[in-house]
Amino acid sequence: MSWIEQPNAPLPDAPQPDASQPDVARGPVAELRTTLPEPTSRWSRFTRRRGWLVAIALIFLVLLVWRFTQIPNVGLSGEGLNRTEFQIRTLTAGTLALIMLAMAQAVIVISGGIDLSVGSMLLLTNCVAAYFMQGRPLVTCLLISIGVIAMSMALSALMGWVITASGIPDIIVTLAASFVFSGAALAVLGGPGGGTSPGFQQLLVGGLSDPLPSIIVIVIVLTVVWLPFARSRLGVAVYAVGSDRRAAFLAGVPVARTRVTAYAVGGFFSAMGGLVTTAYLGSGDPRASIGANFTLLSVAAVVLGGVLLSGGVGGLLGPVLAALSLSLIAPIMLGLEVDPNLAEVARGVIIIVVVAIGGVLQARRGVT
Amino acid sequence: MTAALLSTTAVAKTFGPVVALRSVDLSVAPGEVHALLGANGAGKSTLVKILTGVHAPSAGTVAVMGEPVKISRPADAARYGMATVFQDPALVPDLTIVQNLRLTGANLVEVRRRLAAMDLDGLDLDEQVADIPLPFLRMLDLARALATDPQLLLLDEITAALPPDLSDRVFAVMAEQKARNRSVLFISHRLVEVREHCDMCTVLRDGRQVAVFDPRQGGESQIISAMLGESAAVVRDEIRVRSEAAAQTRERLAGAAARLEVRNLAAGRQLVDVSFTVRPGEVLGLAALEGQGQDVLFSVLAGARKADSGQVLVDGTQLRARSPFDAVSRGVVLVPSDRATALLPQQSVRANIASPLYNRVARWGPINLGRERREVADATRRLAIDLRAAAQVKRLSGGNQQKVTIGRWLVGGFSTLLLFDPTRGIDIGTKHLIYDLVRELADEGAAVVMFTSELREIALLCDRVAVLHAGRVVAELPPDAGESAILSAAHGLEAAA
Repeated sequence: MSWIEQPNAPLPDAPQPDASQPDVARGPVAELRTTLPEPTSRWSRFTRRRGWLVAIALIFLVLLVWRFTQIPNVGLSGEGLNRTEFQIRTLTAGTLALIMLAMAQAVIVISGGIDLSVGSMLLLTNCVAAYFMQGRPLVTCLLISIGVIAMSMALSALMGWVITASGIPDIIVTLAASFVFSGAALAVLGGPGGGTSPGFQQLLVGGLSDPLPSIIVIVIVLTVVWLPFARSRLGVAVYAVGSDRRAAFLAGVPVARTRVTAYAVGGFFSAMGGLVTTAYLGSGDPRASIGANFTLLSVAAVVLGGVLLSGGVGGLLGPVLAALSLSLIAPIMLGLEVDPNLAEVARGVIIIVVVAIGGVLQARRGVT
Repeated sequence: MTAALLSTTAVAKTFGPVVALRSVDLSVAPGEVHALLGANGAGKSTLVKILTGVHAPSAGTVAVMGEPVKISRPADAARYGMATVFQDPALVPDLTIVQNLRLTGANLVEVRRRLAAMDLDGLDLDEQVADIPLPFLRMLDLARALATDPQLLLLDEITAALPPDLSDRVFAVMAEQKARNRSVLFISHRLVEVREHCDMCTVLRDGRQVAVFDPRQGGESQIISAMLGESAAVVRDEIRVRSEAAAQTRERLAGAAARLEVRNLAAGRQLVDVSFTVRPGEVLGLAALEGQGQDVLFSVLAGARKADSGQVLVDGTQLRARSPFDAVSRGVVLVPSDRATALLPQQSVRANIASPLYNRVARWGPINLGRERREVADATRRLAIDLRAAAQVKRLSGGNQQKVTIGRWLVGGFSTLLLFDPTRGIDIGTKHLIYDLVRELADEGAAVVMFTSELREIALLCDRVAVLHAGRVVAELPPDAGESAILSAAHGLEAAA
């Protein structure tokens, strides 16, 4: 676009085309054989493509181990509860909603957008679900869940359509939509209320010391929903559109349709966030501040999870691990008997430090 | 006569007030390798974008096998049997090659076969595109295009980024297409390639096709004269360099030390080794075909990009610019060709002209509005900027916008003026105002470096011309060396004149 951009930024190990030879002097030059580039080593491929994921996984493991060395000091005593399982369940089920929103945000950021309405969508789906599920059996609740997911996907796709059709930046449309969604949540449920079936709760988030259902939900969403999508042509198109919209367009990718699809998939994950919240709380809660906080945390998880805000790079596993890591900070601070209000400060510092280190490493690799 | 495989009739394209294509008739016969030629800005890229569905034509029709067609996106072109290798690779850097091929639904087996046929089967398709050097990306794009077995293959300056042996493989592909009665539309700045490999060529100038002939018959000289045309008819012949004021300036500054000196500057792949000096009062012209390193050179001089090696000296001391701010504070200022990147389009003319002034008038504290108004008024009067649409710069015409870009440096103060194709897309009357202004600034003692894609500007305006080819200065010529000599040098040919 602008002349200041450098489309031909130095490529590593690029053989210089021998352009110094004038075109007329083709005799001896024609003998020259341009050799294929050396294949990148497996190690450099691995660090480039999976390095961040490994780093965030290590961070998560360190925090997890740290947390569990603290448990004897702070866990519940007796009462027939297994402390370790109780703690794991508290972590996974309590973080499940944020994990879902991190996935929603990740898909949209990978496609080159950003969605400031995921938290409000969580409120709306939570309230709609709690409103209709109150006093219903499990089967009805599951049918309602499908309806809630469809509603969220349709609304998010509509948002994506407005963005692509009008050319208004993502951040503005989704911010405006977030007010609409949280207002609608209040209209559905005037205050905390509603309900759901105990079976539904058991299915998604499990009992107090039963971490398995929440872990299964995470694994199912990643393997049954995300992996097939990411490997489909549409999923590749989402990455392509986020990485280089112009090149994708020239390659024949339907750019607008792909971006709308990314928003719809994000809507699926936001609705999952609302549903697991319904199961976790056993009710609905339309307070807007919850949604706003969730939205910001989802962006934090995405960035910490190795998804580039400029789009095209990253996956969903990184943000999931990042969301879990972010949730571990507050209990660890508690275990250290530090003022828990400082947990937010620690969270912020960790995000900045990790992302800055990652940025420096990537910049250095880009130069060499 | 058989129906043309692809033809355009009176195709035109305007972008707002800028006319990119006036009226182009192009006809590519089956089994023909057809070259599309033209100087920079003649409309080649716009025509290619229309043929490939990136732009819609403002007027005229495009027909395939005599049937009018509407190509509104790149995927449409494929349906009509066209495949394009674009000037910028249509490959997404963050994906692997395989993922990129899947993206377009390309037949992987066929792409591999095509790569093997070009002796490139060693390319690991699991590499990320960002890791592959540009020449191989072009070849990959070519293999992908060939895999669709197109009736018409469009090659937009594919050889510009290729070393000779890879270019030869492209020519082999072109010959094979032709042998199978398929066609190629070949766009290149390298006239030798056109002469050796093309059956027919269409030359564009100022958005029209001006000549259609067999390049093997006419040869390079005919191509060059068609590209240049009878430009003298519309252009005033008064050559300012020889004017009295200029002569006086030259006398006065004859012994002056160099204002700007560039020594062995290199940056990236495009800028290999460039050296030149400019004295105060002198206008140095730079002539080059597209993509010979001039963009990089100007961004390095303006402080927007770091050089890999070499030096830039301003008044004898080294300029170490980490950002345009550093360059500007040493008096080195840039006027880019794209006004949109230089101006604040939503702001008023006054705010735009005054913007560099804020660095000087008041570093801290409130801006001295009275002084701002006076200085801006002086500049607008001097430039004769039409102020009817002064509230927002984006509503000015291109010529007036360009005057604002120059005007803001008048107010800000400078010693070295870098002009990058300052009259691109500007009408002839305003062009002359800008020529006068540039000459006047030089006469007042500024050193000017001007890249221009219009060769006639060199004779009108410059004291010397340096010709850039493949990232090096290949010739330094007097301004009256003649356009064909400059153009030959710019094509990397030995002086043909």
